[in-house]
Amino acid sequence: MLPSFRYVRPRTVAEAVKALAAEGARAHAGGTDLLGCLRDGVFDAKSVVSLSGLADLKGISATKDGGLRIGALTTLAEVARHAGIAKGWPALAQGAAAAASPQLRNQGTLGGNLCQRPRCWYFRGDFDCARKGGEICYAVEGENTYHAVFGGSGCYIVHPSDTASPLVALRATVKVVGPKGVRTLPVEKLFVLPEVDHTRETVLAPGEVLTEVLLPPPLEGGKGHYRKVRSRGAWDFALGGVALALSVKDGKVASAGVVLSGVAPTPWRVPEVEKLLVGKALDAKLAAEAAELAVKGAEPMSGNDYKVPLVKGAVEEALLALA
Amino acid sequence: MTDLLYWLQGPVPETEPPKAEMPPWGETKVVGKPVPRVDGYERVSGSAVYPLDFALPDMLHAAILRSPHAHARVKAIDTSAAEKMPGVRAVLTAFSPGADVPWYRSRGRFYSKLFDERVRHEGDEVAAVAAETRAQAFDALKAIRVEYEEFAFVLDPREALAPDAPLVHDGGNRYGEPARYERGDLAAGFAAADVVVEGTYSTACEIHAPMEVHGSVAKWDGNRLTVWDSTQGVFVVQQTVAAALKLPLANVRVIGHYMGGGFGSKLEAGKYTVIAALLAKRTARPVKLFLTREEVFLNAGNRPANTMKVKIGAKKDGTLTAIEFSSIGSGGAYPNGADTSFLATDLYTCPNVAAVDENVAINAGRARAMRAPGFPQGAWALEQAMDELARKLGMDPVALRLANVPRVSQRRGNLPYTSTGLAECLSGGAKAFGWETTREKRKDDGPIRKGYGVAAGMWGYGGGPPATVVVKLYADGSVNVNSGAADIGTGTKTVMAQTVAEELGVPLEKIQIEHADTGTTQYSGPSGGSKTVPSDMPAARAAAIEVRTKLLAGAAEELKVPVAELKLDGNDVVSTKDPAKKLAVTAVPALQRNQVLVGVGTRGPNVEGKVISMFAAHFAEVEVNVRTGEVAVTKLVAAQDSARVMNRLTFECQVQGGLVMGLGLGRTEERVLDRQTGKMVNANWHDYKIPTALDVPAAQEVLSADLVDTECNTAGAKGVGEPATIPTAAAIANAVRDAVGLRVHDSPITPPKLAALLAAAGKKG
Repeated sequence: MLPSFRYVRPRTVAEAVKALAAEGARAHAGGTDLLGCLRDGVFDAKSVVSLSGLADLKGISATKDGGLRIGALTTLAEVARHAGIAKGWPALAQGAAAAASPQLRNQGTLGGNLCQRPRCWYFRGDFDCARKGGEICYAVEGENTYHAVFGGSGCYIVHPSDTASPLVALRATVKVVGPKGVRTLPVEKLFVLPEVDHTRETVLAPGEVLTEVLLPPPLEGGKGHYRKVRSRGAWDFALGGVALALSVKDGKVASAGVVLSGVAPTPWRVPEVEKLLVGKALDAKLAAEAAELAVKGAEPMSGNDYKVPLVKGAVEEALLALA
Repeated sequence: MTDLLYWLQGPVPETEPPKAEMPPWGETKVVGKPVPRVDGYERVSGSAVYPLDFALPDMLHAAILRSPHAHARVKAIDTSAAEKMPGVRAVLTAFSPGADVPWYRSRGRFYSKLFDERVRHEGDEVAAVAAETRAQAFDALKAIRVEYEEFAFVLDPREALAPDAPLVHDGGNRYGEPARYERGDLAAGFAAADVVVEGTYSTACEIHAPMEVHGSVAKWDGNRLTVWDSTQGVFVVQQTVAAALKLPLANVRVIGHYMGGGFGSKLEAGKYTVIAALLAKRTARPVKLFLTREEVFLNAGNRPANTMKVKIGAKKDGTLTAIEFSSIGSGGAYPNGADTSFLATDLYTCPNVAAVDENVAINAGRARAMRAPGFPQGAWALEQAMDELARKLGMDPVALRLANVPRVSQRRGNLPYTSTGLAECLSGGAKAFGWETTREKRKDDGPIRKGYGVAAGMWGYGGGPPATVVVKLYADGSVNVNSGAADIGTGTKTVMAQTVAEELGVPLEKIQIEHADTGTTQYSGPSGGSKTVPSDMPAARAAAIEVRTKLLAGAAEELKVPVAELKLDGNDVVSTKDPAKKLAVTAVPALQRNQVLVGVGTRGPNVEGKVISMFAAHFAEVEVNVRTGEVAVTKLVAAQDSARVMNRLTFECQVQGGLVMGLGLGRTEERVLDRQTGKMVNANWHDYKIPTALDVPAAQEVLSADLVDTECNTAGAKGVGEPATIPTAAAIANAVRDAVGLRVHDSPITPPKLAALLAAAGKKG
């Protein structure tokens, strides 16, 4: 059953920031996961701050530089079906469309998708795990089929978002408003590895609200793709996947964003692969080489060594789809 | 409690033979037609009141405190804080008066109690609370202080037999001696074989996960108890609850009109019903107690995991010479069936067979019968082994099966079947699937491989007595049909209305079904085991015929013609010789005098010297991405032998549901227990992966062999619920083998499993 909490519905971002700075305050965007977490006792809330009254956080609009501003409360369904996003930033449209289920995409927001809590079944279940302040990560000796092969350390969650990897690949930034003012940071810098702090997933400080996602202008000769591998056709998180944002000029890759999903506690950018691709013509040989490199250094646990061939296969397939 | 499943154990009760002759139906007017469900509008519009929807004025809400540990002893329990919480009206523990109720009976002994001080799996009941609101009840659970002494636990049935394994029950981890079956000479059979295949296969534990969670509303009136229960069998619940509370059966009324799915997990009374009744007694208020979704995953049954070894020997022409089969499974922390050997001993003609089933205790939720208990597991092993055998023989897998179709039930004294449609299912299914031509489209290079698979199955139980149905014809010509059978979503009410309409010529709109209420309807066994149609429809038919007989007799008297000359024709009784001689049904004096004509029909005994079984063959097409291990099931064809199809629409619905459930076993579903704590880590609808619409192929075809079986029962229908799900998973596994040249021995075939196997085998796009 839900804990008792205070429900606040601020009308301005400033009010929201103030309400969220209070101890035990939780932001409520689409609410698709918040209520479940509260009900299951994954975490507690003294107050729930609804963002639904903040009109500033809604909508998609062009920026002066030819990029796009997506309000944090924009639903995943809106992102997935937006013609401009599908054309200019296809990896993001495909990532949003690959998330969850139609019902959840109609309700869940882009901001919420970036700030969601992990799906690790020990974190979600009745286990006093490290991420919840306990002593151990149960995945280490336990059931780790769905856990990290990169970037784990004391905690082996994988980041659950299907939009985060595309946004990192697209070099998107987020605008964050907080008690100390406004800051923008690359999406890549939004997330926290367990070695830094294994109790949180984002750098957002108390009171900080992610208000918008900013996409840079589409690259000349830009191509994008999001490939997600999952156990069932819908309502399932990535076993592994990859977001690609490439630009091709004169038949050669001019720039590359390659970011894995479902393999690490954060979206997992593979700069070596990006470097490998740049300056070369994308063909089957390069795709295979890049796929091999993408999983180099993976450290599988007892039950997830499949992720190495699976992700390799997904990367190869995704690159060939853009060749 | 565990002994009450699909079929009565022990001698078959003597049932009064039907009063009228019931020749087999010839061409039917209503039966067999694709009639929409009589309660379809209520079900889809939300006006149907399911037990979970049920509410009474002044009703309390209850919740159960469950063990968080896989194995422990309750050392101390302190409910004082909970009792003082707002809205709390009663707290029940093992020490409460009347709560010392033995539970989980098997082989003449009880293995536990309503609240056992020793908890043997996560989710075992420890205490319960009734409060004014559901939230208050759950809040109070958190305030109950329990001190546990934790014990070592065992989760794997194979490890449970190790000499130093933790004991789930004092006295050993075996539920009885291994069940052995033998015929012929196994060694001689293998010696005579030209080809032998051998393999070990396993199936993961599945959860029933019906849409409606399990639960009851209990209300007392003096010493009479009424229970509204989400159940497959009101009379089973009545018996269990009456025994637990030491009440006469007549004092317990159980009502179960609509129910939102059970798949076998609601064939028995749950502890929740008795707990609700005890709390209602304590508080003198009605009590509603429904499980949460998580509780259903932990403690409302499962299809146990099985590990099976199969060895088959055959001659070059495919004639089977020997089958050896062994299985180990677990009924869970408390006894329930886990045997899987039936198919290996009866599906194919084979003179030399040995099988053994071992059932052991583990510290995990107890199994309950799940749609064809043991059979989909057995098919997973046997039918993959048959596929291997076909490959080794260089034979078409359909042809291999056709070469071994049985004419008698070898497991049951070589008695002939009343009808056997295995050959028809195999050849009819192959034709519809395009087995010969489609398989040329196999693709075994490139990143996406395409493969085809077949598997067969049977279900060995064809219903039987006792079942009683009462049909009442009212003075205005409308009809009430009264039966204790539950309609678990399969269309029982619709098919029963069709049966009565067939005999009385009354339009379906004039028929009302009154059912599943021990206070007002007649005895029927629980709806499960594909036995409701073959058990209850003959009784319904008999009752309708009795009404017709009375009606015709009354009309004959009035029209002064011999009864034999009369027939029912729509709203009239008409002479077959002189159409001018007719009488409106509503004008028959016997009906007018009594205002009602009543017929009582019973289910006669099954035919002697024969056995009744249903057969099926399923065909699957899959596409496998060898880069990622993803499997797409792109086409399924199910060919079923259920003899007469009572309603083409509900038949197709059941078979499609069976295919989806089989696909879940083969592709997605698996209970995961944490090896460190024994706790289930995926006890929710996201992590426990039931197939979604996107996992089920749009290309599905359902065929009926449409055999005429005049011996199985007087409806000529054998049932379809279980056989519709038995071969599906094995057919998919065989198709995956066909596509990638690798066999996945352990269900489910997930991308993690297949990606690892493909990588190990060095398979690439």
